[in-house]
Formats: sequence, C-alpha cells, structure tokens
Amino acid sequence: MATDQKAEVKGEVGQALFEFLHMEMVSYLVSSKEKEDQGELISKLEALGYGVGARMMERSCRDVPRFRTELDAMVFLCKQFWVHLFNKQIDHLKTNNQDVFVLYDNNFRLLTHLTDSSQYSDELSRYVAFTSGILTGALSNLGIRSHISYEITKPPQCVFQVKVLL
Amino acid sequence: MTSYFVIVGHQDNPIFELDLSRTQDSGGANESRRHLNQFVAHASLDLVDEAKWQSGALYLKTVDRFNELIVTAFVTASQMRFLLVHDSSVRGQESIRAFFNDVYELFIKAILNPFYVPNTYIVSNNFKKKVQIVAKKHGVAL
Repeated sequence: MATDQKAEVKGEVGQALFEFLHMEMVSYLVSSKEKEDQGELISKLEALGYGVGARMMERSCRDVPRFRTELDAMVFLCKQFWVHLFNKQIDHLKTNNQDVFVLYDNNFRLLTHLTDSSQYSDELSRYVAFTSGILTGALSNLGIRSHISYEITKPPQCVFQVKVLL
Repeated sequence: MTSYFVIVGHQDNPIFELDLSRTQDSGGANESRRHLNQFVAHASLDLVDEAKWQSGALYLKTVDRFNELIVTAFVTASQMRFLLVHDSSVRGQESIRAFFNDVYELFIKAILNPFYVPNTYIVSNNFKKKVQIVAKKHGVAL
C-alpha cells in the first residue's frame, strides 16, 4: 500500500513539475526580448514543441499497429497520446471527413491553474503554443503533414484545429 | 553470408545502416556488394509501401527478392521502415521478427536522445554496438 501511494505521488509531482517548467519557459522567452514580438515568440514555442512531440509520439506508438487512415491516427492521438501528455483524453473530436479535424479540450491542463476569466485572453495564447507544436511534431512523425491553429474560447477550454496538408 | 540492415526514414533517407556480413578478404568485391545491398534495399521500398497498406501488423515478412537476396521488412506506426537484406542462410522468420523488435526498442531509446536531430543519420557508436550484439544474439549476423 505504501509503495502504491509513493508511486502515485511521484506521478503527480512529475506533472506539476512540467506545468511549472512550462510556465517558466514562456516567461523566460517573453522576457528575453526588449521589443514585444508576439509572432516570433509563438513560433519559437511551437518549434520547441515540435521536437518534443515527435519523440513522444515515437514512444507512445510503441506496440500500436499502423494506422490505416488519418482518422485512426487522430483517434489514437486524442485517446492514448493526450493521456500520455496530460493524463486525460481530448473531450470531443470533430471532422469534416476531408482534411480538417477539430479537437475540443474542455479542461486544458496547462491552462487550468492560470485563470478562468477572459481578461487575459491575449497572453493566454502563449501557453498553448508549445502544445500546438507538440501536435505538429507528433503528426509529422506519423507521416501526416499538418497545419495547426488554436483558439482559447473560454479558459480553460481550448480548441485545436488541424488541417492536413496534402 | 550476406546480411545488411538499414532503417529508412520518411524521405527515403537512410537513418542507420549496418553491414552484418561475413568479412571477406577481397576489398573490391566488398565495395560492389555494399552498393548492391543498398540498391536492393532502396528498390524494395516501393514494395514495402504497398505491403504496409495491406496489413496492419508491424512485421511484414518477406517483401522482395532479387537473385538470391531476400528483403524482409518491419514498418512501425511512426512510418519508420526497418529493412533486412539477406540471403537464404539467415533462417527463421521468428528470429528475424525478434531481431526487429529488439532493434525497435533500441531505436526508440536512441531517438529520445535530445542531441539527436529527428530524421537524420544516427551516429551514436553505442547504438551501433548494441545493434551488433542483438544481431548476433538472434543469429542474423556472425
């Protein structure tokens, strides 16, 4: 029993550490430039996320059989991959059956502890850029080139739109 | 006994190559054999891509033949293709499958290295040694 409790506590500490590290990463990048250049900051965060996403995907799809369609790959991403990252699944997945997928996360873990008012909605988009990079990297490792845009509707609810490039 | 193992990335670029054949004394014949191995592997990529859509399994067994050389393939969910070009002296689909699985484990550990740039050639000596040990263990190399 005691070892079970220790293992659970270890898991929670790991997740809290990542959230703190992520917050620090964003603050560091924001404060490292004198001029406020939002676009460059976002693309730096996305580039950081890209490498992480590619490696995480390689690890997550260890024993999984190959995906026949892009929809299968997206379902895997929403279910298993998101659980590996944030310990929860994507709440809702919509698709137009051609090349656009929309992922709804009603309680995005990296935003949960920040705020739930829409006062800071401009700054909040920085905290989602890294995760959007993770998604791009993960999809490119599966062989799917895509373009991801995101929108924070009402914090902590977040919507990712994946457009598959052909 | 010929045995040539290659991991092919998304742009058909080799991520890792290892020649596991019995070493011969004649240097010239070796060169041309190496080129032939690489050529056969590259030529079989089309067949691998065709076969991978037909089954969902990772291990694809024998995909192609060229004279006496046989190409066996293993494609992961992340679309990394592992190819083994060998002749009929390497026996046992099961041992080749076990070899591929072990190399897959080693491969995942190698790409988690933050110094490794994804989709480039793996230069780690450690990885090369470990693959050689695994190959010996499964009878794919001498």
